Amino acid sequence: MTEAEIREKVDLYSRFPHRGKLKIWTNTTEFMDIQAGDVISLEEHHFLVRGEEVEGRFGLDGEPKFWVKKVIDLSDGSSKILKLVFYESFLMQIGPVNIRCFRSPRKEARILGKTRDDPYFMKGFDVQDPAGNTVRILERIQGARYYDFIQNFSMDHETYFHEHFPGIFKRLIDCFEAMLRLHQMEEVHGDIRNDHILIDRKNNLFTWIDFDYTYEWAENPFGVDLFGLGNILLFTVGMGFHNLPDLKACAPPGMQPTSCMEPEDLSLFFKHRIINLQKLFPYIPDSLNHVLMHFSCGTDVFYESTEELLRDLKACEVQVPS
Amino acid sequence: MENKVLIAIDLSENSLKAVDYVGDMMVHHPSVTITLLNVVREPSPDVMPDEVEREAYVRKMREETRRHMEEASRRLVSRGIHEKNIHIKIQVCSKVVSIAELVLKEQKEGQYQTVVVGRRGVSKREEFLFGSISKKIVGEAKDCAVWVVE
Repeated sequence: MTEAEIREKVDLYSRFPHRGKLKIWTNTTEFMDIQAGDVISLEEHHFLVRGEEVEGRFGLDGEPKFWVKKVIDLSDGSSKILKLVFYESFLMQIGPVNIRCFRSPRKEARILGKTRDDPYFMKGFDVQDPAGNTVRILERIQGARYYDFIQNFSMDHETYFHEHFPGIFKRLIDCFEAMLRLHQMEEVHGDIRNDHILIDRKNNLFTWIDFDYTYEWAENPFGVDLFGLGNILLFTVGMGFHNLPDLKACAPPGMQPTSCMEPEDLSLFFKHRIINLQKLFPYIPDSLNHVLMHFSCGTDVFYESTEELLRDLKACEVQVPS
Repeated sequence: MENKVLIAIDLSENSLKAVDYVGDMMVHHPSVTITLLNVVREPSPDVMPDEVEREAYVRKMREETRRHMEEASRRLVSRGIHEKNIHIKIQVCSKVVSIAELVLKEQKEGQYQTVVVGRRGVSKREEFLFGSISKKIVGEAKDCAVWVVE
């Protein structure tokens, strides 16, 4: 596409006609300098930059992610996300444990390829720019974040648990099965969180996004992912997280603090987080509570694979009201 | 009968304790042969994309490991183990591999009667996230004794 053709497309798909000189980037190394209104050209693909995505992680909410650009695909006017190359290594904290974590564009690109036909993973492909940067071109998923979906239930827990949870639980198992498929391909997600599942409006599936984090150890390669899955399960069963201070102050509607919490009822990683939800909500079946307790201070047996976790979850289905 | 002992050591002080312990225990067994095994893992390109940097890292680790293994060997000799009965083995792996699995593979192939590992004393949380080499070896070893030295 010539510059004149690109300009024509920009005028066609942008709400505001472009004035002045159009800045076209082919090398994306200096991503901080690429701004809204610029065009990124990668091989035969051309994208108008609309701005940056913002961080959704707690504590960093709203911070711009300068390496993640919101763009318009000038071939058809669709919205896309461009993830440019940004290498960083940092310590991620899981409770009191620090984990050396790396951002790897190469790993995310590889997973995009491996999960191309799996509807439970975000879709996209990668292109190398002339400087060798692995740029990921991602479809934008329209739909709510799983975190918001669960948080937005505004009823008492018992009603939620009997009326909504059974259906959500089935869908969550399907979503966890997708994670098993990823693990079977010897890949980890690396950053499993409530807000890294989007509920795709097109098919209603719980869809995994953002898998560019990685680590370097091999004895228990899926440990961090399993921790994340446990957290999501806890959040789903409890209709949110419940912490000791909640009990001490005023319990949310539906909460029945029938007995005192013991240290072994709390999270292995977060000292105030309640894992033994059955003590709050006695109608939670034993089998399901038993799965949760594998993530508590009281456990001596950990899940070592998603397969083990899923086997137990599927066994719970018969006890979950439907 | 030859008595073959495999000591899996990393670069920690704790693994030298395991070496000392084996030296003290085996000094009266003239037929013992002791193999010191260490695994150097080349970082994955996912975490270290630059090939030159990866190669430099492996060279550095190999050198550091060799020095550490020689120190371990000297400790055994100082405890009365004959130098000719001590073997040093450094494995360099380009893939992310489980150390426990490599140790068990070496045990099987070399038909060692005893495998020795040091225990780093990981917390329950660390074990959840990262796993434990010694626990894995204890749980999966066959046809040998396993000593875990703390």
